[in-house]
This record gives sequence, structure tokens and C-alpha cells, in this order.
Amino acid sequence: MHVRPGGAPSHVRRRRRPAGPVVRRVVAVAVGLAFLAPFWWVVTTSLARTSDVYRFPPSLLPHWHVANYARAWAAAPWPRLFGNTVLVAGATVVLAVLTSVLAGFAFGVLRFRGRTALFTVVLAVMMVPQTVLLIPDYVIAQTADLLDTYWIQILPWGASVFGIFLVRQFFAGLPTELFDAAELDGAGRLRMLWSIGVPLVRPAILIVALNVFLGSWNSFVWPFVMTSSPAVQPVEVGLATFYGAQGTDWTGLSAAVTFTTVPVLVLFLALQRHFLTGAYSTAGGLK
Amino acid sequence: MATTQAEQRVSPRAVQVGRRPARRARNGPLAVGLTLPALLIFAVFTILPTAYTFVISLFDWNPLNVAQSRFIGAGNYTKLFGHATPSFAASGLTSLYFTAGMVIGGTALSLAIAVLLQRGGALLGAVRVAVFVPHVTPLVATSIVWVWIFNPQFGLANAVLHLFGLSGVDWLDNSATAMPAVLAYSLWHEVGFTVVIFLGGLSVISGELGEAARVDGANRWQEFWYVTWPQLRPVTVFVVTISTISSLQAFTQFFLMTGGGPVHATTTLSFLLYQEAFVFFHTGYAAALAVVLFVVTALFTLLQFRTRRSSSR
Repeated sequence: MHVRPGGAPSHVRRRRRPAGPVVRRVVAVAVGLAFLAPFWWVVTTSLARTSDVYRFPPSLLPHWHVANYARAWAAAPWPRLFGNTVLVAGATVVLAVLTSVLAGFAFGVLRFRGRTALFTVVLAVMMVPQTVLLIPDYVIAQTADLLDTYWIQILPWGASVFGIFLVRQFFAGLPTELFDAAELDGAGRLRMLWSIGVPLVRPAILIVALNVFLGSWNSFVWPFVMTSSPAVQPVEVGLATFYGAQGTDWTGLSAAVTFTTVPVLVLFLALQRHFLTGAYSTAGGLK
Repeated sequence: MATTQAEQRVSPRAVQVGRRPARRARNGPLAVGLTLPALLIFAVFTILPTAYTFVISLFDWNPLNVAQSRFIGAGNYTKLFGHATPSFAASGLTSLYFTAGMVIGGTALSLAIAVLLQRGGALLGAVRVAVFVPHVTPLVATSIVWVWIFNPQFGLANAVLHLFGLSGVDWLDNSATAMPAVLAYSLWHEVGFTVVIFLGGLSVISGELGEAARVDGANRWQEFWYVTWPQLRPVTVFVVTISTISSLQAFTQFFLMTGGGPVHATTTLSFLLYQEAFVFFHTGYAAALAVVLFVVTALFTLLQFRTRRSSSR
């Protein structure tokens, strides 16, 4: 059993808590497996013969029937869709990190007239949900000839309230003296931001980058409304289209779900600690 | 290492901007330059469009030829109380159903899981990751998985019922079970996120009060109800507000799992907005719905700011 130093001695805890750690572990593992079950189920389905899938109760062991993957892969321009997603998500991350670092530095370090007012404007942006923006941004994109382009998928998400907020908090937590060289001019300040500031707020930058990347990769309604051709559409819109067209081919669909989701899962498992920190950071100043 | 550093940085103690000595006004031009890129993007794609939504909502908007749009004043708003199918009131109730399910179910479930997993070793840490994984998966991909789970003939959900000797249900095609099914999926997808937030809250509350309560003979439920949970009040309020806001916007799972049906049983405000704007091209009416959605969301966001500020004092 894992007893934290400074906590109650384990014998006290055990006497007071008859439903001890073993029960707790069993329940916890059951909860974990319940959350993972859908993943097992989709992978199993993706590897089953079509005839095996239409049986009840279903078999829960995979059959290594990889032909479903070949069929699903041939049914849509997946390489192009993946490329579009990576391009859009990557560009959005670069833009959002850049705007967050610049604005976060200004709000966290510099003192200037109108700072509070401007920061309030930034926070107010949080009050507007994406759903509300669909209609006016569609009309604007139509007028500006941006519909069905990469631009309309990248630019609107190139600034992030969460990003500015987080970077600002990191900067505000640094010792004041770091940026106190008052004799520096604007260009000097920028160099200082790049050489001293950016390395110090790298954890914040990573969290913002992951957050924006995931948001962009997983987004659906925005690209679905704003684009119409696979040449610029992301993989999730392609997957929804595939579902609409092949809605009864469950083995092929499961294969497509699997190979479109694996990249996100790999990224998450490689950087899970940062994802969890990122989730926690959204709670911001809550304690 | 990065984790603990980050957790320290975002604590309210780190946000003492006020202790900074006053800087000269010549920071002004630099500050404007630095904030301009972000503000420009917000202005063009969020702030002005929000105002534009109000304008559109006052017109009988012609999406094919904007010049032919006709000003009708509050016409779209009076239509909200008319007899469109599904009506604004009906979809508002559907939104309320979904939001209440997500807020009450999600808060209770994530609080329970967080208490279960707190201060655990490697095993409980692994479970924590397992619970969080669904949250990073794309809504489109996992909604499709859950359509298959809820398949009436061959799905996993009915297989589980079968295990307990119960007969199967046509989950997504029955107006009584469609919303619970979408709720089950959405809870699976969202709960990991709020669990992490509750775990963060649990990690900083005092353990001594709990010890004292146990010494005084409180059982575990009493300890949780009277000692632990009250200390998590700010975190709970935060979770409730962000769950409310995100549930009001939920769209993708409805689009893929039910299409708003059967017979509008899962047509929420967000789904209705999409349908009116981009399927029926009733742009003006949809903009009025957007304004309503904006006002509701803005109120909850303000509430969130208030709780954030008061709790960090």
C-alpha cells in the first residue's frame, strides 16, 4: 500500500477503514477498464471478418483480419486529409504560440496605460462560443473569398485567450528584476523577451501548443461548415464523410476510426504528463 | 519537473502583478505592438462577428444575395416564440436536459472518481491516465464508435444488458433512450478532464481536518460530505460553470449519433442553430438563436470569472 509520509500511520487507517486499499484498487481498475472498453471494442471490430461482426453476443477477441484496413484506406484520400490536418494544426499552433507569447509578455511584464482595459477585452473574448461565430464568420469568409481554404481554418484560431492567460501568469511569476533593465529600448526588450523570457516560460508554451494542436486536430463543426472539398478538409471531416457514405460497413469504419485516432493517442501517451498539467492549468488561479 | 513547475506558476500566489514597480509610459508603443497580433485576430474573427450576429438577427437574411436581405427588426425574435418545429422552447428544454445531465452526472462522477484515485501509487496513476484518454480523442471518431456500441443488434451496450438477462434496447432510435445514450458517450468523453481538475483541488486541501474528523468518529461518507467536499467548493463551482458552457455548445456527438432525432428528441439549441443556418438557410432566425446562446454563455462565463476571482483571494 502506498502511504504518504506524514499521513496517518497505516495501521490506524486500516482499522478505521474496513473497506481498505484492496477494494479501492479493484474498483479503480474496474473504472479504468470501463473507460478503455470502447477502445478495445473498436480495435476488435476493425480486425474482425464482416461475417463475425454480425453475431450476437459479439466476440471480444480480435481476429487479425487486416483487409478491413486496406479497404478503408482505399475508400478516401486519407494521405491528403492527414496532410491537411497536420498543416492546419501546425500552422495554428505556430501562430497561437507566437501571439500568446507576445501578448502574454506585454500583459505579464510591461506596465502601460490601458493594460487592464485591454486584458478585459481579451477575457471578454472567452464569452463568445464557437457556435455563435459560425454564422457571421461564414458570411465574412464568403465576402473575403476565404471559404474552402486553409486560411479560414487557421487564422480565426491563431490567437488563444487561454494561451495569453497562461503565458501572462508565467511571466508575472518571474522575478521582477529580470526585466528591469529600464534603459533598454523597444528592440532591446524584444531581444530580452526572446533570449531570457521564452526559455523561462517554455512549460507554458508547451501546454499552449498541445492545447491548440489538439483543439485544431479534433475540431469538426468549424471545418465542416467552412470547407467543402477534400483538397483542404481535415481528417475528421473526411471521417464524418466516410461514415455518411459507408455507415453500415462497421469493420471498415472501425479501421478508419482506429487509424485516424492513433496519431492523437501516440501524441497523448508520449506527452501525457503535460496534457494532465494542461488540463489542470485551465483551472488557473483556483485553489 | 515541468509539471510541478507549471503547477506552482499557475497558483494565485504567482500572479501578484501589483508588486511590480511602476514603469514608464514609453512602454506604451511596445505593448501595443506586442498585443496587436492577438487583438487583431480577436477583432476580425470574434469581436466584430459577434456584433455582426446581432445585426444579422435583425434581418430576413438572404444568404445567397446579401443585398436582398430585408430589415425586420425584432421579427426573428418574435419567431422564437412561434410554432416552428422543433420550437425554440422545445430545443431549449432539450439543451437543459443535456446540460443538467452533464453538469450533475459529470460533477458527481468526476468527484467520485477523483476521490477514488487521489494520492494513489502507480496503479491508480495508470487508471487516471485511462480515465483521461477519452478526452483527447476526436469527437467524430469516438462518436462513431459509440454509434456502434449502441447498435441495437450487435452492439456492446446490448451485449452487456444481455449478460444480465435483460433484453436489448434500440438506443439511438428511441426518443426515450437517445438522449441518455448521447449523455453516456459525452460523460465518457468529458469526465477525465474534470477528474484531473478535482484531483488538483484534492491535492492542495488540508488533510488535517479529515484526520480530526476521523478521530472524532466520523465515517468516510461523513468525512467526505462535511469536511472534504466543502473545501472543494470553489473547484466544484468552476467545474459546474465550465461544464455548463461546454454542454451548451455540444454539437458533434448529436450530429453523428442522432442527427437531432428521433423526431427532434435530441435537437439542442446548438444543433437547431446549425440546422437553421446551414441546412435550411434561415440565417436571420439562426442568428437570433445565436444571440440567445451568446447571452446565456456570457452570463455563465461572468459567473466563472466571479468565482475565480473570489476564490483566489
